Amino acid sequence: MQGFLLRRAGQALVTILGVVTLIFFVQRLTGDPTYLLVPETATKTDVEALRHALGFDRPLLVQYFDFLAELARFDLGQSVVQRVPVLTIIASRLPYTLMLAAGALVVACGIGVPMGILLAVFRDRPIAKAASGIVLAAQSMPTFWSGILMILVFSVLLGWLPPSSTGDFSHLIMPSFALGLLSMATFARITRSALLDELSKDYARTARSRGVRTGRLLLRHVARNASIPLITVAALEISNLLAGAVIVETVFAWPGIGQVTVQAILARDFMIVQGVVLMGAFVTVLLNLLSDVLYSIIDPRIVLEGTR
Amino acid sequence: MTPLSRNARLAALAAALALSTAPAHASKERFIVDLVNEPSSLDPQVQWNPDSYYVYRNIFDNLVTRNDKGEIVPQVATSWKYLSDTEIEFELRSDILFHDGSKLTAEDVAYSVKRITDPKFGSPQLGQFDKITDAVALSPTKVKLTTNGAYPALLAQLVKLSIVPKAVVEAVGKDAFNLKPVGSGPYKFEGWQRGVQVSLSRNDAYWGDKGPFPAVIFRAVPDGATRVANLQAGTSDLGVTLDSDQAAQLKSSAKAKALIGLTERVAYLRLNTTKPPFDNVKLRVAAAHAIDKEGMVDGLLGGFDKPVSQLLTPASFGWIEGMTGPNYDLAKAKALIAEAGPAAKAEIELATAPVFDQRIVQAIQQQLVDAGFTVKIAMTDMATYLKRSQAGPEATSTLSFGRWSCACQDADGVLFPLVHKSSGWSAYRNPKADSLLEEARQTLDKDKRLAAYKQVHEIIATEAPLVPLYQAAVLYGATKNLQFKPTPNESMFLNRMSWVD
Repeated sequence: MQGFLLRRAGQALVTILGVVTLIFFVQRLTGDPTYLLVPETATKTDVEALRHALGFDRPLLVQYFDFLAELARFDLGQSVVQRVPVLTIIASRLPYTLMLAAGALVVACGIGVPMGILLAVFRDRPIAKAASGIVLAAQSMPTFWSGILMILVFSVLLGWLPPSSTGDFSHLIMPSFALGLLSMATFARITRSALLDELSKDYARTARSRGVRTGRLLLRHVARNASIPLITVAALEISNLLAGAVIVETVFAWPGIGQVTVQAILARDFMIVQGVVLMGAFVTVLLNLLSDVLYSIIDPRIVLEGTR
Repeated sequence: MTPLSRNARLAALAAALALSTAPAHASKERFIVDLVNEPSSLDPQVQWNPDSYYVYRNIFDNLVTRNDKGEIVPQVATSWKYLSDTEIEFELRSDILFHDGSKLTAEDVAYSVKRITDPKFGSPQLGQFDKITDAVALSPTKVKLTTNGAYPALLAQLVKLSIVPKAVVEAVGKDAFNLKPVGSGPYKFEGWQRGVQVSLSRNDAYWGDKGPFPAVIFRAVPDGATRVANLQAGTSDLGVTLDSDQAAQLKSSAKAKALIGLTERVAYLRLNTTKPPFDNVKLRVAAAHAIDKEGMVDGLLGGFDKPVSQLLTPASFGWIEGMTGPNYDLAKAKALIAEAGPAAKAEIELATAPVFDQRIVQAIQQQLVDAGFTVKIAMTDMATYLKRSQAGPEATSTLSFGRWSCACQDADGVLFPLVHKSSGWSAYRNPKADSLLEEARQTLDKDKRLAAYKQVHEIIATEAPLVPLYQAAVLYGATKNLQFKPTPNESMFLNRMSWVD
């Protein structure tokens, strides 16, 4: 296990360095943010003065190595628009995105998995057809639309939930549903196909022929095997949720990483974008590693590379 | 459980829900404003964007300000006199305290001016103040500013220069000051929950008109539909930057209303006179005749904006009553294009960026195509648009749509950058117009300036290097209880608002 982890950590470092380098240069290909920082009436001299003050007039490679040196000291630099350290910005926004992603995951799993079981166990019956209709609808609704619709119904018409921003638990409900609905459909589909797949296997058929009832069969025999694809999906979905949060955070004025990233991209605030991408790469790599380790715990037949 | 106790529980639950979801009903105590983004910075000298403006202008005072009629009136300065064409002396109030309790003196004013005009400081607002070469405190209540040459727009620019406390800035440094700004304005900075809200509290010791709300919260709500929903649900009191459809939506609302004001921002179409086909004056005039400003304003903008026939709005000094320009006349446009022959057939690029109203950009394209031009829309991100637009006639596109405000309500801030050859924004070369603009910039005589600007407007009307389109409206949404008159310079002073129950 140790060798495996070390090797994977090495690979992760290379991946992250690649991602960071790519984002550094790709962003700068589009120009620099100076023009967005000055009023339209600014003269060329003003623009040059500001560009110099921000250091964007230095050679690109010098900027890159400075950035790497700062990164090695865990310094992500300072936002050129807000003039605040990027770490401060990310640290203040990250908890909100994590809270939202967790809420969405609860919605997605809490509804998606039972729905998937329903679809598998009662397939071809009217109840399963109704459920699959709901899943299809959830999957087809664009988030920005379902979000606005929810605000109109539950905030403006009924006055039950606050339309936007943060505060108590009630603020989290609508954004979590808006974000979780898409993943809910994925969870339902995967659960259904994994269950059907396992139920058609010999061991399940044997158990059934021995008279094991459906509920017991699912719980004692099938659940463990069927959960392996679910873990993969969960790891992928968490990355997706973080990406999907961009729209939900904008619609619900939820102050997470997604919102700050959109603003940073529009303002060409390179430092923030770099910081967020770095964090995203780190989280994705970590989640993948985690899901690999989880496989081997759930199914001892899966052996991690280099651990035997 | 008896029915009574169940009802009681339900009532308690309902009350708890109502309390938790509708805090804005106590908005006289706590006033909530929805901005588009959070302020980028609250140090008044390191940024210029509207979301920061809205907040920090309530924290700081300026030497002078504009009243609701748009006139320049005293604020920190009580009076001023010109010692010469290049020197102006301000007499200051002696009863102003910063929020930390220290007294505002001429030293603070001189320091603020020097801070923002220091190129090393790197203020994005430098260009608005770089005509000021020196600031000296003559006594605790007297300060003298020196400019390089006569500068008639000085007072109009000083409306935007916030006075910061020298001692505090020097003691804590630039970054810390940005995190906890100290001003002398009607509201005090209380806290900044990054990404969530900035809170202010009323400065009860303020020397001027005090604000009506003890506490004010500015939130970032990027989506316009959500800002409208917040107003309708009663969870905010004022929302900025609505579009015409959203403002119309509020007409039927029981809780909210739209507040509309005409601004100093002018929308225009810029023609590159150095490139075909618009190096031909006939085709420029044809383009001007092809555009139906009234139709655009009424059909697309809900009738809130106002067509103009000079490159300025009535909110600015330099506006000439009764000016006319090429009117909408499609037949005339077609005739002029036919006269010009094949030159008119060249493909024209119309530059724009996503922040501009694309309905307008598409309407302009369609109207020019209807007249006989071949126009292609070239959409780029804002930074690229700005860079290209300022790159001079050779690099800039043949046509571009833009909206201009100098936030100074003076023709010098509009006509000079858009027309004078020394400006990157200008794609027009006319020595007569250049000398008129220089003349108007270098004299303090208002009548001379007006006469010069009148001639510039006439040149633009006949030569059509730019087609003035409309005076832009600013649309806010507000709860019915709020009394507030939007101003042309798009400022939002809390102490000029009032609340009726």
